[in-house]
Formats: sequence, C-alpha cells, structure tokens
Amino acid sequence: MASISLKNIKKTYEDGVTVIENLNLEINDKEFVILVGPSGCGKSTTLRMIAGLEEISDGELYIGNRLVNNVSPKDRDIAMVFQSYALYPHMSVYKNMAFGLKNRKVPKDEIDKKVRAAAKTLEIEKYLNRKPRALSGGQRQRVALGRAMVREPSVFLLDEPLSNLDAKLRTEMRSRISMLHKELQTTFVYVTHDQTEAMTMGDRIVVMKDGVIMQNDTPQMLYNHPQNMFVAGFIGSPQMNFINCKILRKQDCFYASFNEYNIKLPMRMNEALSLYADKEVVLGVRPEDIYIEKEYFKGDLNNVIHLYVDIAEMTGANYYIYGSIADKKLIADISPNSKIIKDTVCNLAIDTDKIHIFDTVSEKLICD
Amino acid sequence: MEKNIKKYFPIFLLPTLISFILVFLIPFVLGIYLSFTKFTTVENATWVGIENYIQAFTQDTNFLNALWFTVKFTVVSVITVNVLAFCLALILTRAIRGTSFFRTVFFMPNLIGGIVLGYIWNLLINSVLGMFGYDITYDAKFGFWGLVFLMNWQLIGYMMVIYIAGIQNIPKELNEAARIDGASPFNILKNITIPMVMPSVTICLFLTLTNSFKLFDQNLALTGGAPARETSMLALDIFNTFYGRIGWQGVGQAKAVVFFLIVATIAFIQLKITARKEVEQ
Repeated sequence: MASISLKNIKKTYEDGVTVIENLNLEINDKEFVILVGPSGCGKSTTLRMIAGLEEISDGELYIGNRLVNNVSPKDRDIAMVFQSYALYPHMSVYKNMAFGLKNRKVPKDEIDKKVRAAAKTLEIEKYLNRKPRALSGGQRQRVALGRAMVREPSVFLLDEPLSNLDAKLRTEMRSRISMLHKELQTTFVYVTHDQTEAMTMGDRIVVMKDGVIMQNDTPQMLYNHPQNMFVAGFIGSPQMNFINCKILRKQDCFYASFNEYNIKLPMRMNEALSLYADKEVVLGVRPEDIYIEKEYFKGDLNNVIHLYVDIAEMTGANYYIYGSIADKKLIADISPNSKIIKDTVCNLAIDTDKIHIFDTVSEKLICD
Repeated sequence: MEKNIKKYFPIFLLPTLISFILVFLIPFVLGIYLSFTKFTTVENATWVGIENYIQAFTQDTNFLNALWFTVKFTVVSVITVNVLAFCLALILTRAIRGTSFFRTVFFMPNLIGGIVLGYIWNLLINSVLGMFGYDITYDAKFGFWGLVFLMNWQLIGYMMVIYIAGIQNIPKELNEAARIDGASPFNILKNITIPMVMPSVTICLFLTLTNSFKLFDQNLALTGGAPARETSMLALDIFNTFYGRIGWQGVGQAKAVVFFLIVATIAFIQLKITARKEVEQ
C-alpha cells in the first residue's frame, strides 16, 4: 500500500514540447483516483511517469516515502493495465499472469496458488491454458487485470482499460474494477477520457487540460461546484449550458440579463457579484436544472424563458430538448412524461439555486 | 463486379501462365527427363535410366565433396548472418542518432552483383594474405572463410532490414508491460522480442539457407573452386560437370535434380518448423 506524491512535475519531450508544466498532486494510500481529460491533456503521460515508463524532466515523484524519479519500473512496486491489454500473445493466460512472478523468482507452487486465486476472482479459470487470441475483449481485459493482481503491487495504474470494450461490457467491467479496488485495498490511479467512468468509479477525480490540473475533487463536488467552465462543460452529459449574459443590479438584487430575459439570481451570490455589476459574465446551468414551466414549483417565476424546440429526444429515462433562444442554443433534460412538440415554443423555468456564474475572460467560477 | 472478375480471370491469368509454363515448367520437366538420359543437345538424348545418378555419387568424388563443403558453408553462414543481422537490427531500432544512415550503409552491399563482389573480395583477401605469402587458393580453409565472410558482408544488411521490420512491429506496450513485470533486458529479448519476430526469422532463415546452398557466382569469382576443387560448392560443381566434361551433361543434370531436391526439402522442413513458432496476434 502506498501514497503517491507528485511535486512540481514537468515533462518536456526531446523535441522541446512541454506537455506538463508544473503538476502537483497528492494521492492517498488506498485511494481510487481518476485522471480525466480530453486527448492530449497529459493524463496518460502523468500515469506513465508514475509507472516509470516516461522520464520526468523536472520535479519529484514519491511512491510511499521513496523518491522514485530514477527508479526503474520493476522496482516501483506498481502494476499497470494497458489500453491495448498488452498481453503476451505467444504465452497462455496462465503464463501471462505468472510472468511477473517468475521474473521475481517466486517459487513455482506459490505462483500457481496466486495465479489460480486471481483467476478465480476474475472468473477466468477455464481460460488459463488458452492463448490471448482465443479470448474475447472482456476476457482479455480480465487477464490483464489478473496479471496486475497476482503481483500484489502497492499501486495499480490503469490506462484507459475499458476503452476497447463495447458499452455493455464496459458497464460490467466498471463495477468489477470498483469491486476489485474495494477487495484489494490498494491505491488505484485510473486514466480515462470517459466522464461516466470517472464519475462512477473514483473517490477523487483530477480533471486535466493541456497538462494543467483544472480541478481535483470528489465526483459530487466536481459536478455540483465546478471551479471553471472547462470542468463544468467536461463533466456532465449532455454538457452544461453556457449563456453569455450581463449582470444587472437593481436595489439589492442581481439579475442575469440576456435577450429579453432578466433572471433573478439568489441573494447568496450578492457579495461575489458586487464587482460584476454591468459586466459580461457566463451563466452556466445544467440541462436537468431546467424545467417545464408548469412542472416547476420552486419560488417565483421570473426565471422563465421561451425556447424554440429544434429537436426533442426521448431516451426512455430522459427527455432531452435541444432548442434556441434567438442566437443562443440550449439543452434541457425534462420529465419524460412531458409532451413537447418540436418546432414549437415551450416555456421553461431555470432553477436559479443550481446556476453557476463564470468570468468571461478567466473562465473561472465567480459564484454558484 | 465479382461476376466480371470471374469472367475475365482466365484472360488476365493467361500471359503469366504462358510465361510460367514456357520458362519454368517445361525446362523443369525437361531437366528431370534429361537427368535420365545421355545427351549433348536436347534432341539427341538417349534414355539411360538412373545411371547418371549412380555415376554422380560413385564415379565423381567431387560431388560429395561439394555437397559436404556446401553443407558446412551453409550451416556457418546461416548462423553468422542471422545472429549478426539480428544484433544489428536490435542496435539500429534503438532511438539513437544516425540509425537511418547505418541502415542504408549496411544494406548497400546488396546492390552489388555477386561476380563483382567475388572479384572485389578476391583482391582484398589476397592483398591481406599476400602479406604473409599466401593467397586465397593456397588452402581450402582460406576459401571457406573467405566465402563465409563475403556471404555475411552481402546478406547481413538485407536480413537486418527484415529483422528491423519485425522488431518495429512489436507493440511497444509489450516491452513496457514486461519491464513493469520485472523482466531484465535479456528476459525481454528471450521472452518477448525473439518470439515476436519469429515471422522475420522464418523469412530470413529461408533466404539465407537457400541463398547459401545455391551460391554460385561469388564462389566462381572468389575461388573458382580452387585449390583442387576443394572449395567448389554444389552449384559450381554442377556447372563444371555440365560444361567442363564432355559426355557428362546427363550427370550434371542428375546432380542438378539432386541439388533441387536437397534445397527444396531443407527449405520445406525449415519453413514448417519456424512457422509453427510464429505468434498469431
């Protein structure tokens, strides 16, 4: 078991491109941390630096209390699961799982015991003599997990391990990995670009963009209190609506003004908004915080907007309507029982308790 | 579309098929027939049964000498060429400066024809041996190692390119997974790299084996079989029998058939063995 500490980590490639500038991250022992972000944000590079597969240009990396900058991957007490599984194609499942132990000169009977125990946990016992090519994607994935498990490492590193699986299998493997974490009581660092995986699996999520940590928090905090527009837009599907508006002050109240609407903002925002009177800001509201007017029973109704419905999408549990208010596009996730017809105008109410106000220039949260 | 392809298939096949029959199949069958005859030209062949074969193995000691010399040469060449080519490929697939330059340099000997190469190496080796008062025809050992050296010099670059392609084809995650699994560089070579480049090994072994067995022009130019036909390889011996001894054309032809059978059998066995070790991904 081990904590991981990244201090002022920098990664510059030989061609001079810097992908990570100054990364600081603390991962606690037994924690399940997800590194999430779009392609090229540096999440995989960070993971590979922890694994020792990528050199660290500057800064310090600790696993436990040990500085491991110059420690080879095999001596870091880590195991890694790759996106492509990286199973040895010429070895049987058994040999794949035993390879790491064999290299560490573990006695044969102990290797056998560990491999069979892991295979039992992962329900791959009957495939032990098969070669990887004779397995399905999900089975290969489990072998890759098993190969990591038998080593009983202090840290598990997983690099987009589910991205090659189909949607159904992915959901199944998601819960299997979460269970595994619970069972093994080991530190897990998991890289993904899939926000559903991030939200459902991690104790903590680190959202990255261009080599910089945008926010590092629990899934609930990230969702409910995103610290910037990037996180607000990245987490949540469909993504948060962003409406450019102007802050108006009338007596003691602040309003977000756009088109012909003046949305009254909660009093708790007053202090933060006092510097923004008559200034442009971005109003953020999640699709599920927009209601059909007659189904909204909270407070006064000066927060009603008229949306021209372009598309209405029924998915079963959700009903998404994609529409526009003049030049502004908006998505609302309304009750599946609502009867909305496309190419008509519907009245929607915004739950002002759930709105977020962002700075137009810095894109940072002003208040929520 | 498929129907059209089927319809025109014979038309497109015909030119190649005619060429194949004319320049390969007919001479091949005719060659086998002639090995059972006594002849000076194709028209005056008279059937003698297996007499030519008996003669090749009993009355002509050169044939068995050549066979033994060829086998020795092939074993040494196949091992040295492949080991060295593989080592070079390993070095030149590392991320170091100048790899492209060296790959080109090592490949260049392939662009020189065998006869020219033989004469060049004849001059080079003789100038070195000359310092000690010898030349390449002084002892069969000189000829043997001269041929091995020449073969290596010519083929290493070619085989290296095939091994490089094989090594570059190994997913880098496999090496990374092995490194994390605690494998030493030697372990990675033994357990990952070599099993993964088995398709390249199959091709390279096949090429070096058949090329070594069939070596002719380099042999002719470097030693010409001297001293006393001791360094004469099978192909050169067949050539000398066919063109050098009047009335022995049939025997030369019989030797050629035996030669074909040996090369084909060895290549077939080698392909079977190595293909079994190839990894299906």
